Amino acid sequence: MQAPRLVRVAAPLIIGALVLSACGSKSESGSGSGNITLTLGVIAPLSGDLSAVGNGIKNGVELAIKQANENKTIKGVTLKLDAEDDTAKAEVGAQVAAKLVADSSVIGVVGPLNSSVAKSTAPVLSQANIASISPSNSNVDLTNRGVLATGGTQTRPYKSYFRVCATDDIQGPFAADYAVKDLGKKTIAIVHDKKAYGQGLAEAFAKQAKADGATVLPTETINPGDKDFSAIVTKLKAAKPDFLFYGGEYPEASLLTKQMKAGGLNIPLMGGDGVDAAEYIKIAGASANGDLATALGAPTDSLASAKQFLTDYKAAAYADPADPYGAASYDAANAIIKALAKAVGDGKKSGQAVRDEVTKEVQDSDFEGVTGKISFDQFGDTNTKILTVYSVKDGKFVAAKSGTFGG
Amino acid sequence: MSMLEVRDLRVAYGAIEAIKGISLDVDEGQVVTLIGTNGAGKTTTLRTVSGLLRPVSGEILFDGQRLDTVKAHEIVKQGIAHSPEGRRIFPLMTVEENLELGAYTRKGDSIAKDVGAVFDRFPRLLERRAQKAGTLSGGEQQMLAIGRALMSSPRLLMLDEPSMGLSPIMIQLIFETIAELKSTGTTILLVEQNASAALALADVGYVLETGRVVLSGPGKELLKDENVRKAYLGED
Amino acid sequence: MQTFLQQLVNGVVLGATYGLVALGYTMVYGIVQLINFAHGEIYMLGGFGALFTYTVLLPGGTPVVLALVLMLLGGMVVSITAALLMERFAYRPLRGAPRLAPLITALGVSIFLQELVRNFYPAKSPRPFPQLVDPSHQFSLGASVEISAPRLLTVVVAVIGMVALSTFVRRSRTGRAMQATAQDPDTARLMGIDTDRIIVTAFVLGAALAAVSGLASGLQFGTVDPRMGFLTGVKAFTAAVLGGIGNISGAVLGGFTLGIVEVMATQYAPDPFSGGAWKDAWAFVVLILVLVFRPSGLLGERVAARA
Repeated sequence: MQAPRLVRVAAPLIIGALVLSACGSKSESGSGSGNITLTLGVIAPLSGDLSAVGNGIKNGVELAIKQANENKTIKGVTLKLDAEDDTAKAEVGAQVAAKLVADSSVIGVVGPLNSSVAKSTAPVLSQANIASISPSNSNVDLTNRGVLATGGTQTRPYKSYFRVCATDDIQGPFAADYAVKDLGKKTIAIVHDKKAYGQGLAEAFAKQAKADGATVLPTETINPGDKDFSAIVTKLKAAKPDFLFYGGEYPEASLLTKQMKAGGLNIPLMGGDGVDAAEYIKIAGASANGDLATALGAPTDSLASAKQFLTDYKAAAYADPADPYGAASYDAANAIIKALAKAVGDGKKSGQAVRDEVTKEVQDSDFEGVTGKISFDQFGDTNTKILTVYSVKDGKFVAAKSGTFGG
Repeated sequence: MSMLEVRDLRVAYGAIEAIKGISLDVDEGQVVTLIGTNGAGKTTTLRTVSGLLRPVSGEILFDGQRLDTVKAHEIVKQGIAHSPEGRRIFPLMTVEENLELGAYTRKGDSIAKDVGAVFDRFPRLLERRAQKAGTLSGGEQQMLAIGRALMSSPRLLMLDEPSMGLSPIMIQLIFETIAELKSTGTTILLVEQNASAALALADVGYVLETGRVVLSGPGKELLKDENVRKAYLGED
Repeated sequence: MQTFLQQLVNGVVLGATYGLVALGYTMVYGIVQLINFAHGEIYMLGGFGALFTYTVLLPGGTPVVLALVLMLLGGMVVSITAALLMERFAYRPLRGAPRLAPLITALGVSIFLQELVRNFYPAKSPRPFPQLVDPSHQFSLGASVEISAPRLLTVVVAVIGMVALSTFVRRSRTGRAMQATAQDPDTARLMGIDTDRIIVTAFVLGAALAAVSGLASGLQFGTVDPRMGFLTGVKAFTAAVLGGIGNISGAVLGGFTLGIVEVMATQYAPDPFSGGAWKDAWAFVVLILVLVFRPSGLLGERVAARA
């Protein structure tokens, strides 16, 4: 019995010592050459259904790091990338976040893609006070914006969590303004899938549409996974709406619009970013023409400020496209790089001190990024809440209007 | 050589041994009866012969061929028909469909003729030919069960408690039928609780008690045996 | 009135799929008293088999009718193969085991097949399905009541499948043997029926009908999805119970009843219990009411006690 117990105690100690010495030798070799290496992490789905989007995030960050190293933006520091695959799953996200926390050279993180993953990475990263900036999380809970709708007082749940995108709560009202004020729709049907995202979006839309003076029909709901919506179509048809807003995602939305038009209800369907997917058009076919979807941010190629970014991205010959979140990830990475440059300038080069300082400097970010002005409010939300309405023309989503809600 | 030979048969339900070494013979053209109380192992013996149960040890030979490793549905084809205890007709099918299923292993035109033969034997079934079998009376169901067993043109007919739960008139009719089958040379292995009627008819009888043969001999002799009379014929 | 008739048509279309899939549940249950929860996945595999046939095996420009026939065959091959394998390796070893064991196994098989297809088609789900039958082609059924070509096709193939199965089971020798095995398996063996083979036959027939339904669903909705079997499977199982599980006509009646109840609940149920959100609740209210008054389902017959 003696030996195994010894092994049990000794093994972690040995492994721990190896890890420590590895870390030590790394920074030593860095300082030895008069240059230290620090790490910028990425958490995103790099495999599975969402890998194309996740790789766009990783590539945006990689491009920012490459440029910073070439331009020696941070004196005496070589930055390297550590991209972790969260497989779009919350539990995997928590594991890779812990892994990044354990690596003392990690000074900031870009990601994750999904709000559901962020809910498990943000607590881990915030505990270590590592700045994390998401290019795409739209869920209101991450910065506790949900309370605003009910008139509560917002408090910040994760002290080092930031995002450079707009949130769900303004997506619905933004869409409603467009439908009622820009398109002049008067009788609007609402359908949602009862999930948190879909229902929240649909309710926010309905509230604003009523405020804008449209008639909103009683809400219909469907089950995620349902395929036959003929009964709802027949029922809605009798009420003669001129517009339909759908809160949910593309698999159901595409079948709904198809069955709507086949059933003789020829009105546009509008959805949120859950509908803004190439598959929506692929499945709905010609029925999708004239349908609308909102998305966070502005289309990258519409921004004058993004021209150089797109050229550089193209030059790097990445396999996956920059859109939708490559440019925002590039901005997020630069926010951290700028913060790190200041921290290093203040002599904070390692350990918790550099993490604390980077988070503080990210909070004070104020620069023109490729997607617009990058600055954060006290809760970690961006001050630049840009959204875009896309409409389907000839089998493609085409940007119809970009703007900020209420502005 | 006997048509059916059972040698030192042991059958168990899990850990409980229901048959503890039974041997018996059925010769061609004979009526052989197994009598005994509930739980003596009569039904278990028949179910093992027809392949529904597998023996722990011992062997069953039919025309000298091992039977105890053959699958139940193959045994019918070899010429053994089994009219099970409780009649077990197919309740949701018509009388005629039940009879046709009896001839499941056969092919050809002779089936319709044999259905006719069963109807000749049991005119009551003819009247009810399109009726669901589950709606028949107990006696009619028994006729159907026997008729269905005959439909496979068996060389050995095994009848398990054909008189159980029937009215006296019906019992008489069933035994008349068995006697008739005997007179046409059908080989029959009959399990009965109605020992006197069965023994009166049988060439050979076996008395079973708790899984063992305790007595055997010609039917008429067993009928006269004092122990048999006391135990099974209800005489003091 | 028009709305009512249109909804009735909607309900019949919905019920046709439920009924066709329900037949597979009811046949297998009738014969081995197994609730094969993986049957929904057999339906899903039928859809994917048809899609695979179209995208991988068929050359471009195959005439539509020929393509449909070959897709149906392809779907059937996949469905039937899966059914045979699950019967042989998942269920047969458990015959005679406590009822809970095959039930849990069925759930496991269901998850296994879903994930298998998801990994086989790793791109985003759902997958677009070729629109070989033009959904914009509408047939008028009187005053502004319409049914699109693929929806009509769904009903037509479902009815053909149901009639064919019912004729097969009532008239053919194997069909009779299936009935016999369902009513009394031991006695069926005494008739010379190979009950193992009959059980396999039930799985095969159920899979073939599920494949028909999977193809029809792909044509009707223009998508197939690894998860499509779950919801349809639950509904079809409900339909089978509603009609009287083990009873073939019952499965069909249960399917149509369920489809029509769901649709009518969407349209007519009083607020706040109306709409798509409550349709399933109403469907189960109907199920519970039926089972309270007819515990063995609409057409379920209490099989005479087995001796």
